[in-house]
Amino acid sequence: MRLSDRVTGSFIATLGALATYGGSRLPPVPGQDVGPSAFPMVIGAGLILCGLMIALGIGRSFEEEAEADLAAVEGPPQRAQPADPLAYRLRALLPPGLLLFYVYAADRLGFVPTTAIMIFVVAVAFGARLRVALPLAALAPIAIHLIFYKLLRVPLPPGLLPMPW
Amino acid sequence: MNELIEAFRLVLAPDVLIAILLSSIYGLVIGSLPGLSATMATALLVPVTFYLSPIAAVASIIAASAMAIFSGDIPGCLLRIPGTPASAAYTDEAYAMTRKGQAEVALGAGLWFSALGGIAGTISLIVMAPILAELALNFSTFEYFWLAFLGLMCATLVARSSPVKAIASMLLGLLVACIGMENPGGVPRFTFGVPELLGGVEAIPVLVGVFAVSEVIRALVSPEPPPLPRRKFGSILAGQLALTRKYWRQMTRGNIVGIIIGVLPGAGADMAAWVSYAMSKRFSKEPEKFGTGHPEGLVEAGASNNASLASGWVPSLLFGIPGDTITAIAIGVLYMKGLNPGPTLFTERASSMYALYIIFILANILMIPLGIVMIRVASTVLRAPRATVLPVILVCCAVGAFATGNNLFAIVLVAIFGAIGYVMENNGYPVAAMVLGIVMGTMVEQSFVTSLIKSDGSLLPFFERPVSAILAAMTISALLWPVFIWLWKRIRHRPQEQAL
Amino acid sequence: MTSFTRRGFIASASTVFAGSLVGLKASFAQSTYPSRPITLICPWGAGGGTDATARIIAQVLEQKLGQPVNVVNRTGGNGVVGHTAISTAPPDGYTIGLLTVEIAMMHWQGMTELTPRSYTPLSLMNVDAPAIQVKADSPYKNIKELADAIKAAPPGKLKASGTGQGGIWHLALVGWLQSLGLPPNHVAWVPSNGAAPGMQDLAAGGIDIVPCSLPEARPMIDAGRAKSLAILASERNPQFPNVPTLDEQMGPHKSVGVWRGIAGPKGLPADIQDKLTAALKEVYASKEYTDFMSGRGFGIKWAERAEFGQFMDESDRQMGEAMKAAGLAKT
Repeated sequence: MRLSDRVTGSFIATLGALATYGGSRLPPVPGQDVGPSAFPMVIGAGLILCGLMIALGIGRSFEEEAEADLAAVEGPPQRAQPADPLAYRLRALLPPGLLLFYVYAADRLGFVPTTAIMIFVVAVAFGARLRVALPLAALAPIAIHLIFYKLLRVPLPPGLLPMPW
Repeated sequence: MNELIEAFRLVLAPDVLIAILLSSIYGLVIGSLPGLSATMATALLVPVTFYLSPIAAVASIIAASAMAIFSGDIPGCLLRIPGTPASAAYTDEAYAMTRKGQAEVALGAGLWFSALGGIAGTISLIVMAPILAELALNFSTFEYFWLAFLGLMCATLVARSSPVKAIASMLLGLLVACIGMENPGGVPRFTFGVPELLGGVEAIPVLVGVFAVSEVIRALVSPEPPPLPRRKFGSILAGQLALTRKYWRQMTRGNIVGIIIGVLPGAGADMAAWVSYAMSKRFSKEPEKFGTGHPEGLVEAGASNNASLASGWVPSLLFGIPGDTITAIAIGVLYMKGLNPGPTLFTERASSMYALYIIFILANILMIPLGIVMIRVASTVLRAPRATVLPVILVCCAVGAFATGNNLFAIVLVAIFGAIGYVMENNGYPVAAMVLGIVMGTMVEQSFVTSLIKSDGSLLPFFERPVSAILAAMTISALLWPVFIWLWKRIRHRPQEQAL
Repeated sequence: MTSFTRRGFIASASTVFAGSLVGLKASFAQSTYPSRPITLICPWGAGGGTDATARIIAQVLEQKLGQPVNVVNRTGGNGVVGHTAISTAPPDGYTIGLLTVEIAMMHWQGMTELTPRSYTPLSLMNVDAPAIQVKADSPYKNIKELADAIKAAPPGKLKASGTGQGGIWHLALVGWLQSLGLPPNHVAWVPSNGAAPGMQDLAAGGIDIVPCSLPEARPMIDAGRAKSLAILASERNPQFPNVPTLDEQMGPHKSVGVWRGIAGPKGLPADIQDKLTAALKEVYASKEYTDFMSGRGFGIKWAERAEFGQFMDESDRQMGEAMKAAGLAKT
């Protein structure tokens, strides 16, 4: 997801404007001259300024210079082909989506089944064969559960498949 | 002298030695797992310390936190996923070295200079505790404001990108730090009615999101990179002596900066690493090499963050004021074990104090052999196919974030910041700068507002007090530096263009 | 004795029998609870004073109940998350929690709907009163001189710190100022991240007064940087016998203070309440608990069930008054 500086700059400026507006509506606190609204408003103003500068391309030269330095050491940067099909790029949503799935399902299914699903899905998305993905999905959650639940006493939800320890 | 002998007797007790060894291994493992920080390693130790003798309890915390700060460098170096916020400052640098096939040099530098830094910090604790404590006590909110501001300015120095984008990222971090009611007014800000946000957004879930999760995303949408040249993983300590000779100035500067920042309550290893890395680049003869896999910054930052860890104990032991989040937890354990902080700890219980010093030094020496083993084990992930490593890392992210407060909401934050971090990184916005903003945000605002309340709204004391004035001058020059560089380049480039 | 009939005997015998059956059933229920590990939720992070208190209670409770008692820190939302988790747990006695004074404050600020009445109170374990600290070399010799100096100073001249805006020690100061007939912001409040940074700023000369509990002030007092003028309670703290009470010097004053107690979710069955309260009472009386609390300088106070509920109601009312006076309350 590579966007032009114009887009990201405008987005940052908009966010700054929203922060300023949201900050300005905060109530003052008795006994404090500089209330809770000041800091968000200053940050908002800074974001607006930075956003506009980025959108106008100020400071771009530094970035090119840095890339040139890096390229001198590592050779030309390898980027994902922009021509990738949309479906391929949509896989970017997979990790955050799986984390939200964990939040939703962990208490119901339990730690081990939930994370087994997560590991299996990601492994397959990375092109692992079933021969690798299935044992990994079966064993890794149990090992992680053992470390965190038993050794570190993190209360992981037992759910449908409570561990014997 | 009797006290010293007594101290050795205390430390050499079998239970203490076992506690040091086990908690060192524990700290190394926890610190190296993405999503688990040194602070959390300490927090998770608290229930265990309940069953230990006082010296063993404190020893386990000292050992675990020192190891965890070092081993936070390992995943940062190997996978570009920093284990602790302290490592975030120089993760890109270390990873660049790994890409160049110098992982062992980068990790070796982290290990070697961490251990030396830890020992330097301990010596400062032994020799100068009262002086350092005095320094810490004379730091008022005015000085803290400039210090925090200076810390924020490091964002522009550290990042290899446009300074405007670095500042924008840092401001985004500050905006995130505004969330919640942990502000001087005690007013809920930008919580959108979500009760979990009342306490604010903590740095750990953000760190895990913007580094680890976004790294998994990046891997998913890019083709498998060409495997690193298959070769034997070189010696870890070889070359470190040469580095020490070459960069002894940087190392010493890192130690001093780390000790000073560590001793100031509220500013810990995270800030020390940032400031030192930025200083290293700023004063380097070859700043253009920074970010391309150059060990100079690693030396200074590694020396700094472990030094700060030891000196962070000074205000904790003398006044019960935590130097950072780790000592905040440690103070609780000290109380629990009847080693109440205060000057009496140094006089009436001098043998316990000496025992603590010995443990510090012992832990930092022990760090070297254990660290080497850890690096060897961890470096196998470089050879493992990413289809097996990254799924497990994603689960570790979820569990690690959850364990900070046993709160599922932290995982939601990890998911959100994973997506944000991916988009930012792809568009040249350095995510490390955002982490810095989140870490420092509360301190900047708190110190500014409380200073104004104390001065009845006058800005004068910000520049009047001697230490404050020095810090102000440093901050303003750091602020104007990029502008100066920009102008200078303009002037320098113009004649060349004319010559063409 | 003539009324002693056969029928009467049978009736009374069956009553006794039934009664013993009921008793048997009750004792059966009591002997089965607890049959698995119990979770004790602590709404604050590991390493703090509340966490330490929770852990010592859990450790002794484990011995008394014969089942593991695991402390689980549920942090986030400034205590809201953990307190919510206690109230929403199933009322089966296997999840209980440590309530802190914040439960009597948060709902006034509109942070949560929860109040002390959202729980089944089991036992009050700890109470700490605020004390007034000033710099060791400050001219005020006693609390009266400080009170006179505060009255004489222009509003906002003197500064105090020790917790965030609207925190417990801020409210304690507001309450004291009110009892002196002064407006709540006569002494300016400098928000801080807790008592330790406040005490540091006191030693650095940045502020004039720190109201906080004596155990929190102890390291700085021991270091000779600060002194405590009075404790805002009706009795002296046995750990700090030299600190006089405000009542001794200036007449009675009822101040807010911090407290910690054990509670379960609403609707905890009475037999489980009995069992837990009895075990907690043993914890409270145990040497481990009293040694630990006196070692840290924490005050101990016992109240059980309804009595603890009344205590929380009273605390709630006081907090509401102080917060309204300070302009901090939303409702």
